[in-house]
Amino acid sequence: MIALNIQKELQSTDGKMLLNLNLRINKGQLVTLYGPSGVGKTSTLRMLSGLLKPGEGVITVNDTTWFSTDKDINLKPQLRKIGYVFQDYALFPHMSVLQNLEFALHKNQKSNIITELLTIMELDQLKGRKPDTLSGGQKQRVALARALVQKPEILLLDEPLSALDSTIRLKLQDYILKVHKKYSLTTILISHDIGEIYKLSDWVFVLKDGLLIQEGTPSEVFISKKVSGKFKFTGEIISIEKEDVVFIVRVLIFSEIVKVIAQESEIQNLGPGDKVIIASKAFNPIILKLE
Amino acid sequence: MNSFKGNISHINTKGNLSIITIQINDKIKLKSIVVETPKTASFLHINNEIAVLFKETEVIISIDQNSKSSVQNSILGTIKSIEKGALLSKVNLATSAGDLTTIISTDAITDLNLKIDLKVTALIKLNEIMLSNT
Repeated sequence: MIALNIQKELQSTDGKMLLNLNLRINKGQLVTLYGPSGVGKTSTLRMLSGLLKPGEGVITVNDTTWFSTDKDINLKPQLRKIGYVFQDYALFPHMSVLQNLEFALHKNQKSNIITELLTIMELDQLKGRKPDTLSGGQKQRVALARALVQKPEILLLDEPLSALDSTIRLKLQDYILKVHKKYSLTTILISHDIGEIYKLSDWVFVLKDGLLIQEGTPSEVFISKKVSGKFKFTGEIISIEKEDVVFIVRVLIFSEIVKVIAQESEIQNLGPGDKVIIASKAFNPIILKLE
Repeated sequence: MNSFKGNISHINTKGNLSIITIQINDKIKLKSIVVETPKTASFLHINNEIAVLFKETEVIISIDQNSKSSVQNSILGTIKSIEKGALLSKVNLATSAGDLTTIISTDAITDLNLKIDLKVTALIKLNEIMLSNT
């Protein structure tokens, strides 16, 4: 269990903001911090990892105090057993994939974890390549593997997939889930992508102006209260095409594309890339057994 | 999507299902069946204001105002406009609750001889009406 009760004055675009959070994250969960830019999500991860010192407060992880202003405790970042993945990969450009991973090893740490990670992340074929010869998705797989070399207990993912296109993003989400489960990690994700949050996370914390304003499962936070429809999914609009007096809207839901007939009034403020809820009554779908 | 606001006037629950009656105005009452009960959905209580939503493609148009059918919801209206397409057409109705849009086959427009200012009945099955908390 991670218990974080911290205050920190931050400089935001609109001037000073007080980040005042009290979060509890159970061991083994994958949780998401959700909210607009500049509400303190990245600062929260930086304080948990020890890269930024909170103004005041307490951070305990599995009953060990990592930070406490009262007790004057501030555990060094390298002792916190945290893996960190950023949006911009942060790989060493002059080193190969393998060297990037080896560089992350502790002194005296056996290198068999690297062989294991190369296999899990399907990087074996790429291990001799330099980062600038890799695609964005491949680089992020390396960055994810590197974050796991020191066998962290906590994985912090700061918008790791936001620079990638949707097909690659879906693939990377699978890798994240795979390592989260395999290494029994407690993972904290920052994401703006509701479909992604839905697929990956057990719990969502909604932040606004430095405060926790809502928490719950993804369905509690994002959809349950809006409509009573029982056949309900979140997705991303791929295309909108006019056909006769109606519009055919293609929506990506997880990895499937569905088509929905819509009216002009429904699509007025919608375009490709927008996140939407698709809902129907529980009475409409038919069920067929797959042979 | 058609959307009208109203107040819940009756709730009939059996097991996991409820039939909710919503009073839209003094003339129009709509019924919706949902897989919810007042216990599972906090917005299901008498007098609560909610929105009823239904797709344009789920609205049946009848020119016989006294016809009997199993459809529980009917709204009287006058045709305001018809936008004809090759296969489907959009028919807009003026009703006492406001505008209502339906999408029906273009052939039906011809078969029923639908014209502007004609008085018609819009029929919506109770399992096609969705509820939304306002």
